[in-house]
Amino acid sequence: MKQFLVSICLAVACVGVLPAQTLPPQLFSGMEGFTFLPDGTAVPIWGYGWVSDGFITLPAPLLTYEEGDQVQLNFTNPSPESHTIHLHGLDVDQANDGVPGTSFFVATGGQTTYSFSANYPGTFLYHCHVTTTLHLTMGMYGMVLVTRPDQTLFEGGPAYAEDVPLLFSDLEIATNLDPVGSFPFHDIRPDVFMVNGVSGSQLEAGERIIHYEPGQPVALRLGSMAYSRMELTFPAELNATCYMSDGRPVPVPFGVESLTIYPGERFTVLINPDANWDGHITCDYWSMVDETLEGSNALHVRDAALHIAEAEGTEIVGWPNPARSSITWSHGDALSVWDAFGRLVCVTNLQNGVLSVVGWEPGTYVARFEDGRTARFVVSE
Amino acid sequence: MKKFIHSLVVLFYWSLCGTGVWAQQEVWIQKGIWEVGAENVPVIRLTPDTIWSDQNKVFSLTEETGDFLTVHNLDSLDHTWFIESSGADDVVIPAGGSAELELPALAMGCYRLGLSDLSGYRLGGSSMLQVGLPDIAFDSTALYHWNLSDWSTAEMMSIAAGEIPDEEAPYVPTQFTINERTYPATVEDPNALVQLNLGDSCLIAIANHGLMDHVLHFHGFHVSIVSSTHHPERVGWSKDTVPVRKGEGLTVQLVANQPGTYPVHDHNLIAVTNAGFYPGGMLTQIIVAP
Repeated sequence: MKQFLVSICLAVACVGVLPAQTLPPQLFSGMEGFTFLPDGTAVPIWGYGWVSDGFITLPAPLLTYEEGDQVQLNFTNPSPESHTIHLHGLDVDQANDGVPGTSFFVATGGQTTYSFSANYPGTFLYHCHVTTTLHLTMGMYGMVLVTRPDQTLFEGGPAYAEDVPLLFSDLEIATNLDPVGSFPFHDIRPDVFMVNGVSGSQLEAGERIIHYEPGQPVALRLGSMAYSRMELTFPAELNATCYMSDGRPVPVPFGVESLTIYPGERFTVLINPDANWDGHITCDYWSMVDETLEGSNALHVRDAALHIAEAEGTEIVGWPNPARSSITWSHGDALSVWDAFGRLVCVTNLQNGVLSVVGWEPGTYVARFEDGRTARFVVSE
Repeated sequence: MKKFIHSLVVLFYWSLCGTGVWAQQEVWIQKGIWEVGAENVPVIRLTPDTIWSDQNKVFSLTEETGDFLTVHNLDSLDHTWFIESSGADDVVIPAGGSAELELPALAMGCYRLGLSDLSGYRLGGSSMLQVGLPDIAFDSTALYHWNLSDWSTAEMMSIAAGEIPDEEAPYVPTQFTINERTYPATVEDPNALVQLNLGDSCLIAIANHGLMDHVLHFHGFHVSIVSSTHHPERVGWSKDTVPVRKGEGLTVQLVANQPGTYPVHDHNLIAVTNAGFYPGGMLTQIIVAP
């Protein structure tokens, strides 16, 4: 059971394809994951994952509901510390608010069910509210989308073709490497700046590019769990219009050239780009403390007609998985392997794709190949 | 007969107040000590009389009606008085002296005012001017106020000692306050702790006096933005996470549509700490009785 709950972050979240799952609605919290930076550095994270997956992700899984749903969100905490789920912006009642002092926390080994009504369509967030300053920078957050079956933003609102969740966040490597030594908390200054858990060149991976069909508006679901203030710049060719903030329609929709998003805020922006457009939305991360520009990312938006066959997301498969003595990979010649605690286990060249795991401790591992792709595998007794 | 004369005096007083010809408002600028956590920090406050208070006086004005304000400076330094977003000129109040200022006619809302000189501002001589609040148009009779700020206590010590801060040095705020209180003392402040009955509503006047932007997240509720000095185009928006920019005066309406106790806090999470310890800082509560 313990092995099953050892969590690994695979940084699998991607633009437009955040890991979404509504059944079974059973989240767990973990404190033994890690994420990879563009240069391959592994950074420890805490987070949430689906029990059925057995690993945590950064950000946490996307929760999707339909307007009017009576939601029962099951949560179990096998991790060494107490955690909660605060449903940010959903205006749940006190008992389900996920704040230790006024609601309750879920201690190690505990489980609970959060109940609420998804009364309003829109973009929301969830995060741990235990020692929030620390648990958020460690990665315990995700996005909640409440949509309408008729694919309109809200009653009487515009129709759109597709949801693209974009969750902005940041972390400070030193804090994540040494959470216990991160005191004092007011000194946290992020140095990694992310969209859906990845940054920089990782956002140029094919599956992270936002593809659109001309004439079919795309709903950008923008939310921030960053410590920074976000400044987004929308090129005119995107024809961007803001319709909602914090899960409510704005009284007068407005065209967007730039948009400021503070920590915890959300906006829904429809883009209806010109045909044959290929460009970027610039995302700048400004310090809330001293107003300095700390980092930038660029979100690639492209007409689907311009999509070319590029190396994107070809999944690497290893078998058998779980493995006892060896695992054979479908691609790749060289790889590095990390254990569940973020420790480098080996860097090796493969012979005919075969990696020997003889003598390895049973548990969950992540293989990272030369081209940056990753795969999770389990070594069993 | 005595009762009749008394009534005449009261009527005369109110008629003068209503026309704004009587300098009815006064404030004293004072230097004192603020106990915050384990520190005793020299501060400046705007007090309603000569008695020291470590909380700033809040001012009020009738909508679109000017008034006069007498400012007494009990400090040994000159200070400069300002009202943000009002169009009024800054006025220097000499050390040990007084000045009579005109409060301009303003639209309904909340405005920052106080001291803009280095020691006056950085040591905390800032508060708000509530104009036309509570406003019956919003059917909210209860009114709360939140003066927000962030503080580098080390920097305050050096400013109080007459030193000029190095503007190139990193700003490291260590305390974050509502009405000059850090959580949990915020919930002992009747102006910071919102207490309502189910179905009631209130207005909350908010002003940001700090060197940082702040962003308040309301648990359990969305609030409607009623006024904003910096983003008036957002009046009418319904939000659960409300940015309050440096220098901004903002008013929100809260409708207590569910019972319970709910936190309100800065979602810049370094600001929910006291000298680095969580929880603390810019955090208060809304309590709705069933």
